[in-house]
Amino acid sequence: MIRRLPTGLALGALAVLGASAAAQDAWVIRAETIYTAAGDPIAGGHVRVEKGKIASVGSGPGSGANVLEAAAVTPGMIDLSARIGTTELSVEQSTETAAELSVVEAIDFFSFRWDRELRSGVTAVLVSPYDNDVIGGLAAVVKTGGPPTLEARLVKEAAALRAAIGSQPSAGNRTPRGAPPSSFYFRRPTTRMGVEWVLRKAYWDAIQAAERGEADTDPHVRARHEVLRRTIRGELPVIVDAWATQDIRTAIFLKEEFQIPRLIVDGAAEAWREPELLARAGLGVVLPPHVFTGRTREEAFFAWDCAATVEELGLPLALSAHGARDFGARLDRQAGFAMRGGLPFAAALASVTIHPARMVGVDDRLGSLEVGKDADVLLWNGTPFEATSAVIGVLLNGELVLDPRAAAGQ
Amino acid sequence: MQTTAKRLAGRLAAHAALPAALFAISLSSAASAAPAGDKLVIQAGRIVTQAGPDILDGVIVIENGRITAIGPSSEVEKPWDAPVLGGPELTAFPGFVEAQTSDGMDRPNENLDVAPFLDIADSVDPVAYYFEDCLRWGITTVNIQQGNDCVVAGQGMIVRPVGLTIEEMVVRPRFGTKIAVAPKRGKSRATQLQVLRAAFDDLRRYLEELVQKERDERGYAAREALFQGRDLEGEENQGRTMGGTAWKVDGLDLIPRGAIDEKMAPLLEIVEGRRPVFLYCGAAMDVPHALAVARENGFLARTTLLIDPSCWKASDLIAEAGVPVILDGDQMHVRRNPVSGEEEETFVPGVLKEKGIRFALSSQNANTNSLWYQAALAVGKGLTRQEALDAVTKVPAEILGMGPEIGSLETGKLGNVLLLSGDPLRVTTWVERVVIEGREVYDRAKDVRNKHLLEGKQPPGTAAEAAEHDEGGETDEAKDKGDAKDQDEDKK
Repeated sequence: MIRRLPTGLALGALAVLGASAAAQDAWVIRAETIYTAAGDPIAGGHVRVEKGKIASVGSGPGSGANVLEAAAVTPGMIDLSARIGTTELSVEQSTETAAELSVVEAIDFFSFRWDRELRSGVTAVLVSPYDNDVIGGLAAVVKTGGPPTLEARLVKEAAALRAAIGSQPSAGNRTPRGAPPSSFYFRRPTTRMGVEWVLRKAYWDAIQAAERGEADTDPHVRARHEVLRRTIRGELPVIVDAWATQDIRTAIFLKEEFQIPRLIVDGAAEAWREPELLARAGLGVVLPPHVFTGRTREEAFFAWDCAATVEELGLPLALSAHGARDFGARLDRQAGFAMRGGLPFAAALASVTIHPARMVGVDDRLGSLEVGKDADVLLWNGTPFEATSAVIGVLLNGELVLDPRAAAGQ
Repeated sequence: MQTTAKRLAGRLAAHAALPAALFAISLSSAASAAPAGDKLVIQAGRIVTQAGPDILDGVIVIENGRITAIGPSSEVEKPWDAPVLGGPELTAFPGFVEAQTSDGMDRPNENLDVAPFLDIADSVDPVAYYFEDCLRWGITTVNIQQGNDCVVAGQGMIVRPVGLTIEEMVVRPRFGTKIAVAPKRGKSRATQLQVLRAAFDDLRRYLEELVQKERDERGYAAREALFQGRDLEGEENQGRTMGGTAWKVDGLDLIPRGAIDEKMAPLLEIVEGRRPVFLYCGAAMDVPHALAVARENGFLARTTLLIDPSCWKASDLIAEAGVPVILDGDQMHVRRNPVSGEEEETFVPGVLKEKGIRFALSSQNANTNSLWYQAALAVGKGLTRQEALDAVTKVPAEILGMGPEIGSLETGKLGNVLLLSGDPLRVTTWVERVVIEGREVYDRAKDVRNKHLLEGKQPPGTAAEAAEHDEGGETDEAKDKGDAKDQDEDKK
């Protein structure tokens, strides 16, 4: 977006501003309601932003020179499953359990899709390796805007370990016929059983290696074991792609067998089916985009009250839009759909801000409007998540990247 | 029409084995339980009339299918013998109007390039889930036209989404014709336009030949018609000078109207300006060609453009032609800038509004089937609430020539009323009840499929259970039929 000139925009197009067009390091944002995601909403309040951080939040107009106004203000949204930045091309072929690899080496910061996330109000995402390996590697939290470099955008490098169960990791894998089974061309596993076995073997190996001592182990393998053991010690959450009930169950049994304290199921469309099991396991839940027919991947049925059900269980809940192209299906709309399914407003707000931030351990910087946190702030033209409201302004790291004054003239 | 009914009856008998049919039947039996002619009083805490200020604590009286009184509860006299529906917690709103769709058809497209003689009535499946969904989302009037993959399509129809036969559903039979300027599959734009122009040339040549033969041999047309077994009675026996504003064939008054080949008659109606045309443009470059064909053949005044979002780039031409449009698909046109590689978004209704073009939104959209959602999104992006609501009620009603009948709640209009749990554009609002022409046709409390979508609950023996065919507990026969249906849908 730095390359784009501020003039010459298409008629009526919403465009993210060039950084140079609004190089102010202090803003005062006034709104009828401030939703901080850290306590009750503030009526008639302000958020003051200085040097990329939030300097004050409170009632009254606040003071300062550069004033922006909006109907409502919320923290920037966070999508733990934006499915952005990596493709099948970044799937490691040499192993099915690439726990030691970090996705940061493979993120494409020049993709046009970052801009799409940013202008729809998603200011940070968890980037995970593509789900063709059983254990894909370490996922990272990055900002969706700013200079297109890792240094500028990285929030947390090893934020979670990505794994996948279900049919995706074995999709396309063939059983060896007429060639040596050891051939490079026959990827395994080929079934759900095999996927689960690979995952359990990886954990078993890591535990065994610790008991045995790893002095003689290959350093790469040792690093892989260490990542898996960190997840057992609870230092690192595991985020597992699991849509249907059978896969959610597999995730739960895995969690219980290896006593993994922080396990998040992603795409958990059928989380509503067995709420007792979910509550017993204490999973974090990331839901996929709502569909009007209820049919999602892996033949999983995504009931509209799923978000509300998970919320009632008291489990950490995050919503996701999977990088939707359609502006009627992005993350702000997903929160609205969840409300249509019975999720209260406050929980809907938390599920796109503070909950996902906590789930991957970046709540010290992101997820709510509190003094000292990153100044990732959204300005809305109405009550957030209502279908009649839209994000009209975005501040990222205190910089105005979508100007609400431009939208007003639309 | 008789054969259609027979075929439908046969199809329904086949469906009777399916639990899926149960739900459809229960819906329509509710409809037939209260025959038109009965009176109905609707009460609502708030009535959004779309024809003036909202009415608080209001009452709508419907008699013989039409609204006979509407106003505050204290002022309107309620017939003592009418059942009462609704309550103070509900909001009343006129039924949404679907300006154009191909949903509800068994399959939406036709192999023949030019087929204006076909009738959509033969293709509409009254038990299609689509019509259930219409009620669930509050759509009470649907204009069904053939799919966009055509040159000159068959004759469409306006229906109400309730009934077990096409006769029960029909509001306006043989209404409108779709013509596509964007190429049909397998055609280039050049061949598409050639075939389209040739269709009107063929009509002209046919009429000229008919007149010539009539002049050579008096009574030729009538004898030909009688030979083909057609009756020439009443008005059909009359010749008329050719109407319309474009080209004319002299001497057409010599030909009894009933003697004109029925394969050609609908095109003649188009040229004479007696038949609405839905002209599909798949890209901005189609718009000038579409307008030219409409002008050359005299149907511009009866034309509604059905536009792909990318057609906003031709909005000056559309505004100049003064035709209304139906937006087909997403409201936000998204394209990659070829120079910077970045994505640019254009809010199409905003452009149409700015250019003074009358437009209707449609629910043919990847993520939703509902007009309320389309209207709400448009408000978020800059339309006023009234403009957005009009684009899914009044404007489509006018486009369909039903402005005096539907689109708002006023005395004399049809009694098509939604009872909503809240404001029509709030994200948490549900359609609680639907009344079409004074008959209650939908009650959310009895909607098992909605319960399934919302809560995942599948009451045994219901459509919802049969639809989710990966679950156990259904007969093999039902499963086979369910799979066949899925395959049909895949083909679309």
